[in-house]
Amino acid sequence: MSDKVSSQIDVATIDGDAVTDPWREFRLVERITLELSQSYKYSLGKYSRFFIELENRRFLATRCEACGKVYAPPRPLCPACLQPTAWTELSGEGAVETWSALHFSPASNADARALETPYVLVYVLLDGADTLFPHLLKTPPDQVRRGLRVRVVYSDEPVRHPIHLMYFVPIST
Amino acid sequence: MPKHPVIAAVGSTAISSEHRGSNARDLMTEAVLDCLADAGLDDLSAVEHGLASYESDHFNLQMTLGAILQDTIGLTPKPGLRIEGGGATGALALRTAWAHVVSGLCDSILVYGVEKNGRGVSSRTANQLFALSADVDWEMMIGGTYTGFYAAMIRAHMAAFGTTEEQFAHVAVRNRRNAGFNPIAQKPMDISVDDVLASLPIAEPYKLLDCSLLSDGAACILLATEDWASAHCPRFRQRPPVYFSASGCGSDTMRLGDRYPHITNFRAKQAAARQAYQMAGIKEPLAEIDVAELYDSYSGVEIQAVEDLGFAAAGAGGPAVAVGAFDLDGDLPVNTSGGLLGRGAPVGATGILQAIEVAQQLWESVDARRQVEGARRGLTDTHAGIASISVVNIFERRD
Repeated sequence: MSDKVSSQIDVATIDGDAVTDPWREFRLVERITLELSQSYKYSLGKYSRFFIELENRRFLATRCEACGKVYAPPRPLCPACLQPTAWTELSGEGAVETWSALHFSPASNADARALETPYVLVYVLLDGADTLFPHLLKTPPDQVRRGLRVRVVYSDEPVRHPIHLMYFVPIST
Repeated sequence: MPKHPVIAAVGSTAISSEHRGSNARDLMTEAVLDCLADAGLDDLSAVEHGLASYESDHFNLQMTLGAILQDTIGLTPKPGLRIEGGGATGALALRTAWAHVVSGLCDSILVYGVEKNGRGVSSRTANQLFALSADVDWEMMIGGTYTGFYAAMIRAHMAAFGTTEEQFAHVAVRNRRNAGFNPIAQKPMDISVDDVLASLPIAEPYKLLDCSLLSDGAACILLATEDWASAHCPRFRQRPPVYFSASGCGSDTMRLGDRYPHITNFRAKQAAARQAYQMAGIKEPLAEIDVAELYDSYSGVEIQAVEDLGFAAAGAGGPAVAVGAFDLDGDLPVNTSGGLLGRGAPVGATGILQAIEVAQQLWESVDARRQVEGARRGLTDTHAGIASISVVNIFERRD
């Protein structure tokens, strides 16, 4: 280890023929660790009201006044009509359309709480919506099936990204 | 009728989980020099245009890498550009280069693609970086990953058509077996359907052996008019000319849920195929295409692809794959290179590697164990995300 390069991982000589390798002059390789982290003043833009209303335990979608399509997640612009949409409130209940149980989580997300694996990613057709809403369903994977009725639960714990102010649970029958 | 370019020459590195002795510039250099040797050229002085193909500024920890690559191989002060289109980057780069030649903007263009997705970062970080190419506010922040999105899609396909885990395991077995006949492949494996089914769950129903590889590697294609290639590339006339004869491109919503109820298949791929087939005059793709490299980012994706490309009816992809219709001795051999599952997938190079495999098949220059005899027309299928962008390129041998 180098005592001058604190980030050094290793120095190694790459295999190759001493005569025929055209890169024989360049086989000594040093590797170092580099880190880069940034923070952003990140605007949630025209999505903002959806996230703000989650704090009030209300679930909003948008509706195109021209074609009547209801978007959840909200779209500020109807891509079919190119008209600004209007906010509309949904009950937050719906049915699972498709899903996956994830056994491998990304290194981190904006939520400080680590995702415990396995966790369930669901696509929910909310009552009154025409698109599927993706989020986590807090239930054991073996209890998930297509058509399972679910509802939004609003979280009281502090979160880093307001999408974590909600998640789904099964509606007990 | 536009004048379609020919593939004047090709080159690549070996595809590996880690080229620890090389950074992206080094890998790209190696692929370009390999391409020059294939062309019989001593230098790039005659080449008119450069085009860099890579996906990620994050993996490389370098922005404007395209300019650095152009500089590295001495193409300055010639024109150059960089193309990025997620997983479709390499195919989109070739499509862009195709348009440059067809339009007459230039007669020769060097397309060089590279990526270091291997072990520069941990697989968890790699998943997170790839998840940044999902919709950050709605998909990435909840803990979504592409493996999860693809898994939700294939589960919808299973629900709609009865597709089974055994059927897509067949893809994982066949493509890794094909990789055994490809000297540049990253991970040839001799495995069984049971091995795939018993492998570690990643995002159900996808298991470890259903998932494609993280790779380091580079690939390069010199596209040119036939006249330019004849005049400048001493080795060009030693092989039958292979034309890049058609290209189609489609797009779809970023989020899977916005496609509802169309969540079992790739509409962008269907659109790209329609365009490419119309341009190439193809009416019956299964009968009129001899070899194809499909985007098998996950094993089940190949089943969806054979349907979207018209090689099988909607919902019939699973049974067709399982009976071997797309094996080396099947109706239409696909992923003879080993695909993303077996050869590997350095993103910016992937679409270029697919085109190289097709060109070499048409030249009849690959290992005899994977050579498709008498192949005259081949196709590449490449997409980004869950096919938010899809590109279909078609290559034809004419001699």
